[in-house]
Amino acid sequence: MALEFISPEGLRLDGRRPAEIRQLRANLGVIDKADGSATFEMGNTKVIAAVYGPHEVQNRSQQLLDQALVKCEYSMANFSTGDRRRKQKGDRRSVEISLVIRQSMEAAIMTHLLPRTQIDIFVHVLQADGGTRSACINAASLALADAGIPMRDIVASCASGYLNNTPLLDLNYLEDSGGGPDVTIALLPKLDKITLLQMDAKLPLEMFEKVFELGNKGCVAIANYMRNVLLENTKDLAFARGVVKV
Amino acid sequence: MEVETAQEDLKPAPGQLASSPFINKIVAPGDIVLDLAQLSIPTLRLGGGLRQDQDLVIATKAGRLKYIKPNKIWVEGSQKRYIPSLEDVVIGFVVDRRSESFTVDIGGPVHGSLSIFLFEGATRRNIPNLQAGSVLYMRVVKAHRDMTPELSCVDATGKASGFGHLKNGYVFQCSTGLARALLSRPTCPVLEALGKSLSFEIAVGLNGRVWVNAASVSTIILVSNAIMNAEFLSAAQQQLMVQKLLQRVQES
Repeated sequence: MALEFISPEGLRLDGRRPAEIRQLRANLGVIDKADGSATFEMGNTKVIAAVYGPHEVQNRSQQLLDQALVKCEYSMANFSTGDRRRKQKGDRRSVEISLVIRQSMEAAIMTHLLPRTQIDIFVHVLQADGGTRSACINAASLALADAGIPMRDIVASCASGYLNNTPLLDLNYLEDSGGGPDVTIALLPKLDKITLLQMDAKLPLEMFEKVFELGNKGCVAIANYMRNVLLENTKDLAFARGVVKV
Repeated sequence: MEVETAQEDLKPAPGQLASSPFINKIVAPGDIVLDLAQLSIPTLRLGGGLRQDQDLVIATKAGRLKYIKPNKIWVEGSQKRYIPSLEDVVIGFVVDRRSESFTVDIGGPVHGSLSIFLFEGATRRNIPNLQAGSVLYMRVVKAHRDMTPELSCVDATGKASGFGHLKNGYVFQCSTGLARALLSRPTCPVLEALGKSLSFEIAVGLNGRVWVNAASVSTIILVSNAIMNAEFLSAAQQQLMVQKLLQRVQES
């Protein structure tokens, strides 16, 4: 028998309602050496991101004369999943996720302002419980903002799915492996533009629209949270600098 | 003066620039700061951290929206990496020596270049003797994203006026926000407190490098530590911290 993902009372396996995101937590400036860094938690999913740059391009042949070169590296800690296993760097999955993170960040960074430079983004999954690519995009976005790299908007990302005839928001690992579709969206909330849309299953169009709408709302909620964290952090820095007199 | 963060639903107001609800507030990337269609001023000068999209002025980095009469606005944040801009004072290290110029590391995305003639009294016969690793106090005279930044060790009238080779001393790194606070007026509380009981020389670059020199090594260490500690302290806390450091030195 297929697993019941939604109880008769309308609650999910972890006690959430279908259109509810997990608890969010974010911290900025967590790595001393990096120019910008952040941790981002969505429930039990926890990732850390570091941004280095803009600095000189390491490999001269890759240098772009009219815009910055954005590089992204995604990796998972050996202890991040239920069964501890050693993953080699550069397997297909992490290459693909590195690519989508890079593309959705590149859409937000004003790369034309920093020609002939390189921006490195490193994201590392510390704890995986579904939605790691969303969490990574959110962490990378905050780390870029912390580094002061000019951006059109903050990128926020959220996953949504469809199980037991119900659209669900922000899937966890159990729901993610439930066999239903998993739609990951990354959004520039103020511009109302999508920078990433991924789905790895089939879904009828009318249902897709509902799932997409739900994911979009999730992104907006996450973006609001991220913006508040960023503003609070900037305020702390301003206070610290003695700009503010109490 | 209380720093406030800009609320989510805050909208640009019509009328004068000074009456904009975003002035002196903390803004985040993507915030729409001004709507030029509603504004009744002929010209507006946008500084760093802002971009224009048709009639809208939008923030591109997190920081405090600053305004100077009559029409200049920009976003001021605190970063670790420095992006050169015109007329900034910076501290750099000589990396390479060429026939016509020095290559200088100013902590930016690319090295800067300093002409050998841009020292007070420098001629082709009289080139300043700087080796790789020498510390220089300079100003940025050309900053364009498509060119290497150009530096100068003289002011506009050709006088050294404080710029040049910084001999001896100690250099450390801090955030650009703290560097700006150290250079601002009235004097930063930590420098005020240190200056009352110690004598030392200091040079602050907007690229977040601070050079300190004094007669004794212990003074240099104390001043450097005090400044590095000051980053996350309020004015009163800074004074207290300096007093504690001074006490500890006097006891030992």
